[in-house]
Amino acid sequence: MKKLAAIILAAMMCTTALTACGNSNNGGGGKADSITVNIWDSNQQKGIQEIANKWTETSGVKVNVEVVDWDNYWTLLEAGASGGKMPDVFWMHSNTAQMYMDNDVLLKLNDYVDKDDKIDMSKYYEGVKNLYTREDGNIYALPKDHDTIALLYNKAIFDKYGVEYPTDKWTWENMYEAAKKITEGSNGEVYGMAMNTSNNQDGWYNLIYSYGGQVITEDHKGTTIGSDESKAGMEMMRKLLTVGAPQSVVAETGTDSLFMSGKVGMISQGSWMINSFYTAENHADYAWALLPYADRNGNGTCEKEERWSAYNGLGWAASAGTKDPDSCYSLISYFCSEEGQKLQAEKGVTMGGMTGVSEAFASAFEGMDIKPFLDAEEFSLYFRPYTKKTTVWEDALQQAGAFLDPWQNPSDPALMAKACDNAQKIIEKAIAEE
Amino acid sequence: MKQEAPAAKLKKKKRTKAEKREAIWALCFIAPTIIGLIVLNFYPAIDTVWQSFCKTGYFGKGNTFIGFENYSKVFTASETWHSLWNTIKYALIEVPFGVVISLVLAVFLNKKLKGTSLFRTIFFLPMVCAPAAVAMVWKWLYNQQFGLLNNVFGTDVAWISDPKIAWISIAIIGVWSIIGYNMVLFISGLQEIPGDYYEAAEIDGATGIRQFFHITVPLLSPTTFFIVQTRVIGALTIFDLMFMVMDKTNLALENTQSIVYLFYDYAFTKNNRGYGATIVVFLIIFIMIVTFIMQRAEKKLVYHP
Repeated sequence: MKKLAAIILAAMMCTTALTACGNSNNGGGGKADSITVNIWDSNQQKGIQEIANKWTETSGVKVNVEVVDWDNYWTLLEAGASGGKMPDVFWMHSNTAQMYMDNDVLLKLNDYVDKDDKIDMSKYYEGVKNLYTREDGNIYALPKDHDTIALLYNKAIFDKYGVEYPTDKWTWENMYEAAKKITEGSNGEVYGMAMNTSNNQDGWYNLIYSYGGQVITEDHKGTTIGSDESKAGMEMMRKLLTVGAPQSVVAETGTDSLFMSGKVGMISQGSWMINSFYTAENHADYAWALLPYADRNGNGTCEKEERWSAYNGLGWAASAGTKDPDSCYSLISYFCSEEGQKLQAEKGVTMGGMTGVSEAFASAFEGMDIKPFLDAEEFSLYFRPYTKKTTVWEDALQQAGAFLDPWQNPSDPALMAKACDNAQKIIEKAIAEE
Repeated sequence: MKQEAPAAKLKKKKRTKAEKREAIWALCFIAPTIIGLIVLNFYPAIDTVWQSFCKTGYFGKGNTFIGFENYSKVFTASETWHSLWNTIKYALIEVPFGVVISLVLAVFLNKKLKGTSLFRTIFFLPMVCAPAAVAMVWKWLYNQQFGLLNNVFGTDVAWISDPKIAWISIAIIGVWSIIGYNMVLFISGLQEIPGDYYEAAEIDGATGIRQFFHITVPLLSPTTFFIVQTRVIGALTIFDLMFMVMDKTNLALENTQSIVYLFYDYAFTKNNRGYGATIVVFLIIFIMIVTFIMQRAEKKLVYHP
């Protein structure tokens, strides 16, 4: 036994030593031969690599785009920032940007941006730009893209139960009626809609905003989630849940899987997920529509401030310790220049971080109309709520003691109102401790 | 002992060249392990204890010493004790069932029958699979809508979402995965029992069951004790099953999350390394107490012929 254990241990050590060698980079003062780029979305790898190859044509520096899945991405990046080796160029996200910017592990881009005539900071989406600019005005990442939310529905299910397809005139009430018809028409075999507590940015956050509430106020220092407006939004959410898939179902299977297996008629999803549904087996049945709105003034038409979609954007950042900061910035600048941004949309990678470059994106998915993601911008957009330590309250809101309770028992309106009050306290406490 | 010591010293001085060379080579061979242990185990362990006294900053920078503040928070938080209780409940299922079932299997598979090696392989298979893969497969078996269990039995049980039974479902996965490992240890223990005992018992007219309880169980008790002790520690540090099987929004999570899960949540999701480190130190102290008690019990429970 002991011998065996010793051999296994020794073998393990050898392999860890090997991987350690594999990771060490080939850098060496001055201009680097190649740049390592880390991203977490394998759907985008091909497109990003193609754009990067174009940059290589002029710069002569090779680019290796490596995909690391979301969880490991942040573990690796943090380990790199804590004294290991970081990739040269990588993505930043609103969950973690504050933490990275405050600790000087990212390359400061101000001087480069000032000298660069291809980058005009006023052309980017406000929220994305502000996210990656520190309070003192230092820029740590350039906006890579933006995403919006739309409603995804299964035409086959709508046809089967004789329900009309969602339109751009739909209010949340209409969505409720349709979901009710499907759920009742199928005797619970198929659910009209599904949403988990974890579908926040792509789900219930949007109800709060369309009813006039705010998850995080614009200064990122407070919340109105316990206000009457927010409660009205979440009350609508509660109604939807009474005709949707139960919490125990979505917690075990996940709303995307439920939708793709034909068990659910409608879900809301973000534009970053288009490719998953586009390449799914039954994609011919899938269609997108604008998110419903809340007719708050009761005039029967949708005003700009009655339909809200969350938007978020990634940023291209570089490591402060990179061997070749000039090449890194040059690559970032190419990605974020008008040319790079247009390529990104054309190739169907994502919509741009720059305004007015995304029209080509709508036609990138042949046979699937994804225009609702672009149309959403004609109404109101709010930036994905974040604070310095977003995950602390974001996680708490999804669990027992907050919205998991009413989700579990949607027939009781008092539970939902109480959950909003609890959420207000959770967020306020988390912000106070930041 | 005292007489031996100077002799050893004497020997040391008189080491021949060959012996010295051998010693150096020995060191070289174990160096990877020693270095690995120091770098990968000892240093992080000490650092963890240090961090538990700190309010930790990001990226390993800016740790400030705050004394026992983390500890008083951990000890007064009800979730700590709830998670500890969840972990103990898990251990109470995994250890006894894992031991009893594998003991019975080991006795059967130790007989000279056709196909024993095939069955040994089959029972050992779960050990070869990656724990994460095992958990994913079981997650789908348990799934309420599409799961094999509900489909085969025609039931509609929320195996992993019902807070009342989810912890048992999780523990069953634990038992299933560990049986093969325990069984192999038991078989090796069984093979050390001399056949004479059984022959003598048979001549005296003892049945198979009597032989099992009066020969096998007592003579196997050192092995059993070893397995129980290592499995108790293993069960108290369980993490992957809960992490892979339970979704964050699962209502039963509160009643299944283990103490290591709680540590993970604080240290890596909420990025509060100091608090996480304190939970781990708390767990280590608890395991030390349990081990101490078991070592004391060993003298009474284990049969030494």
